[in-house]
Amino acid sequence: MKKFRLTMSRKRMITGILFISPWLVGFLYFYVRTLFMTGQFSLSEITIASTGGYRLSFAGLENFIYAFRADPHFKQVLTTSLFDMVVDVPLIIFFSLFVAILLNRKFKGRAFVRAIFFLPIILNADAITEALTMQLQMMTGGLSPMSEEVASAASSSTVNVGYYLSLFENLAVPEFVLDYIVGAVSRISDIITASGVQIIIFIAALQSIPPSLYEVSRIEGATGYETFWKITFPMVMPHIITNVVYTVVDAFARSPVVDLAYDTAFTDYNYGLSSVFSLVSTLLVGLLLIIVVRAIQKRTFYYD
Amino acid sequence: MAQNVKLRRRFRIREKKLNRSMAGNALLFGLMIVCGIFMVLPLVMVVNNALKPIDEIFQFPPRIFVRNPTLSNFSDLFVLMNDTWVPFSRYILNTAIITLGGMLGHVIIASLAAYPLAKHEFPGKNILFYMVVLSMMFSWTVTQIPQYVIISWLGINNTYAALVLPAWSFGMGLYLMKQFMEQLPDSLIESARIAGASEWRIFWSIIMPNVKPAWLTLAIFQFQQMWGNTGSLFLRNEELKPLQFSLLQITAGGVARAGVAAAVTFIIAAVPITFFLICQSSIMETMTTSGMKE
Repeated sequence: MKKFRLTMSRKRMITGILFISPWLVGFLYFYVRTLFMTGQFSLSEITIASTGGYRLSFAGLENFIYAFRADPHFKQVLTTSLFDMVVDVPLIIFFSLFVAILLNRKFKGRAFVRAIFFLPIILNADAITEALTMQLQMMTGGLSPMSEEVASAASSSTVNVGYYLSLFENLAVPEFVLDYIVGAVSRISDIITASGVQIIIFIAALQSIPPSLYEVSRIEGATGYETFWKITFPMVMPHIITNVVYTVVDAFARSPVVDLAYDTAFTDYNYGLSSVFSLVSTLLVGLLLIIVVRAIQKRTFYYD
Repeated sequence: MAQNVKLRRRFRIREKKLNRSMAGNALLFGLMIVCGIFMVLPLVMVVNNALKPIDEIFQFPPRIFVRNPTLSNFSDLFVLMNDTWVPFSRYILNTAIITLGGMLGHVIIASLAAYPLAKHEFPGKNILFYMVVLSMMFSWTVTQIPQYVIISWLGINNTYAALVLPAWSFGMGLYLMKQFMEQLPDSLIESARIAGASEWRIFWSIIMPNVKPAWLTLAIFQFQQMWGNTGSLFLRNEELKPLQFSLLQITAGGVARAGVAAAVTFIIAAVPITFFLICQSSIMETMTTSGMKE
């Protein structure tokens, strides 16, 4: 009897491996190897061989020491990137959940409205951004420097932001809260454009909630508020994690640290140092992500 | 009959009370409209510019809306297409192979791998999962050199495979599918297993139909990724290059090609939007068909 069960579980393991292997092979080849090679590069000095290709010579931790002790930008840029991420991610999550709930209701032409919120992602393709900038230049001609002046004049004349800030500070609102709010308001357009994918993930999550749950709650006489907190929110919770991960990944890909690593590699041709930059920042963000995900996961409800 | 109407009327009144007030709704939709207008503006510009005759494109002060719409930009584009070195249909074929191949392969392979990760226990599961998250963060822009080395080491440089194969095993799809599959009730799979279904059968006729919103979302996402790919790093033969590349070349023509470039931008933007609309409307249909009951 015992032997039979063993073969059974072994059989299941083989099926599992069969399911996973096509993906795993590609993953190992294209992504794990990339990670590994970057680690290797970060520990060595790279010279381009005269015969073509490259040669590695082991340099120990030299690149790391240079990055933290001598490089003028790295630490500063890394801190800014991480801080920006901490500010943006919660805002993007809240905004996209809010929009997804609104767009999940029945109204005429909602497919189009959803498409509108996905537009920034579509218009973000290289070819389109390039064409759009060109068209803008053609349409406005030499107007762009002037428009900046107009914008700064407008912001200084209409509302005195400094007055409100000092007012709230005198009311003993902690300064970091104010900083956060000011930061959030000045980033509204960034946040809206960055939340396209998160919105459709949340919509998919809302769509997979069994309608019978809502039916029951309605029969029991729950209010909209109760329905949200007792049904929608717990059911969407796992996808808050999904979206946190996606948002962090996406924000990181656009962060100044990645730009710095790119410039170091392709403008300064210092590939070893660039590998250090990307490795250190990836590991730091990864660590941050794992802590956050663990924290949310504890409070998550799984439907089983 | 009359009583039924009365009941329904009474029910509707009650329902209205349960929901948010009219003023609140108006405020919310007002907010949405403001957000929406900002996002739609570039698209409005793209559409209008594509329809503008050449003198209106350069008009100063600029106007957003077109006065005398023409299709001349599109006819110019077709004339230009006939003159290209490689037949234009070839570019379209390339894009179709790369985009559809990358998208379908990724959706299927990632879903297959996500099923054991979400619903079965095996050693090394967590480590694998953290690797996936880490790999997603490893930005493409920074790892170009290792990627290139690997691609040329595999000998698939200058083929479609150089673009399609890495896309298949990208971490994002696995992650997304796993998150959605985890939410399916275990009892659903259990009952299928008791009824004698093989894992393969469970996957195709239980799991996949129930996570349809997830894989449609993934398809949208991946389509967008592959569609925006110019493939300039790996593809060197002109006959293999995708549509985006040739269109970028037309756009690079500068002032002389301004009208054609506007038409090109319209086409590049229109295809993913259409795909999005199709997928989104079928996401909505699943709501009624997924019969999960506890």
